[in-house]
Amino acid sequence: MANNRVLQWATFARTWWIFDANHQCHIKSAKRIALYLQGKHKPIYHPLSDIGDHVVVINTAGISMRNDFWRKWKYNHHTGYAGGHSVTSAWRLHELDQTKVVEKSVYATLPGNLLRRRMMRRLHLFTDDNVPDDILQNVTDQIRQVTVVPRLIQEYTQEELDAMPKLFDWPDDYEIEFKRRKEDDEIKKYLK
Amino acid sequence: MSGGSIPSNFLKNVLNNGIGRYVCQMKRVTFKFCKQRNDSQGTRDFIENHLLDFTNAHPGVVVYIQPRNNRPSKIVAEYLNGRSEGIATTKMPQEEICQWLEHLRTRSGAEIVRLRKNHHTDNPSTQGVWHPFTNKDTSLNLAKFPDNDSYKVPSTVSTTDRLLEMGRKLRQEKLSEKS
Repeated sequence: MANNRVLQWATFARTWWIFDANHQCHIKSAKRIALYLQGKHKPIYHPLSDIGDHVVVINTAGISMRNDFWRKWKYNHHTGYAGGHSVTSAWRLHELDQTKVVEKSVYATLPGNLLRRRMMRRLHLFTDDNVPDDILQNVTDQIRQVTVVPRLIQEYTQEELDAMPKLFDWPDDYEIEFKRRKEDDEIKKYLK
Repeated sequence: MSGGSIPSNFLKNVLNNGIGRYVCQMKRVTFKFCKQRNDSQGTRDFIENHLLDFTNAHPGVVVYIQPRNNRPSKIVAEYLNGRSEGIATTKMPQEEICQWLEHLRTRSGAEIVRLRKNHHTDNPSTQGVWHPFTNKDTSLNLAKFPDNDSYKVPSTVSTTDRLLEMGRKLRQEKLSEKS
C-alpha cells in the first residue's frame, strides 16, 4: 500500500485531554493522568515509543486530600549542601504554588526513565478553569474524574438545612475550620 | 558486538517470486580452482562428473570456469539484485560441492541478516489501522470542553442521605402516632 506512510501519521498523532481536578484526590488523579501521558490508553502502546498524549488539568487549586493529610503530608527537599534539608507540609506547598502538588504526584507516578521529563512537558496545569484558547481548542476529549465531587454545605438550600436533623446547635463563637498556622514573613514574601 | 551494530532487516521476498512463476535469482556462477593443488580435487571431480548435468538442468544460469594456479578453490554466485556470494570449496568432496551449489542456486540473493520480525504482510489491516478517533463517539465532535457533568463519577446514596431518609420516616411515624 502506497499510503502506509501517511496512514501512520494519524495513528501516532497526539491528542489533547482535559481533566477537572476539582475535589479530586491528587494521588488517584495522578495515577489516571499518568496513563494518558504515557499513552497506555492506546492499543499501539510500547514502552520505548514516545506516544503519550497531552493532558490539560484544570482547577488544581481545588484538589482534595483525605483526613488531615494537608497537615501531615510532607514534601522533602535537599539542596545538597550541609543543612540543606527542608520539609514542607502539603498545605504550605499548596499555598506557595497551587499546581505544585499535582505536578509532584504525577512526576512521582510516571516511570523513572528518560521519557519522564518529556512526558511532564505535555502536562499543562491550571489553578482554575481559565485555560488559554490556544490550548483549549486542541482538546478533543475529557478524562473521567476519580472521586465523587461532594455537595458543599453552601450548595444546600435553607429549607434543606432547616430539615437536617440536629441534636444540638453549635455556639456562635465556635470555629469549625481547622486553625491555620500563623502566616510568617517567609510565606508572605512568596504570596505577594 | 551489540545489537545495534549487527545488520538486521525485515523479512522480504524479491517481487513475490514464486507466487505464480519462479525466476531463478542466480544469474552467474564461477568455479575457481587450481589444476594441480590437492585441495581443489573435489572441484575438479565436480566439473568432470556433475557440471554438465547442472548446466542442462538450469539453462538460465551462466557458468564460468576459471582455473587459477596455486590459489584456493571457490564458488562465486552472482544474483539478479547485483550481489554476489562466495563459498570456499577447498578440501571439499564433490558431493558437498553439489549441495553448496544447490544452496546458492535456490537463494534469492538477499543478504542473510538477523530478522526483526519473522512475519511480513503487504496488507497490515483489512479493517483499517487504529488512530485516536477510532471507535470514538461522534458526539465528541461538537462537544464543548471542559464538560462539567458527563465526566463526573456518578454519586451514589451517601450516609447523609440515608440518615435524612431515616429521620423523615421517624417523623412520619411520630405524626401518625399523634393522630
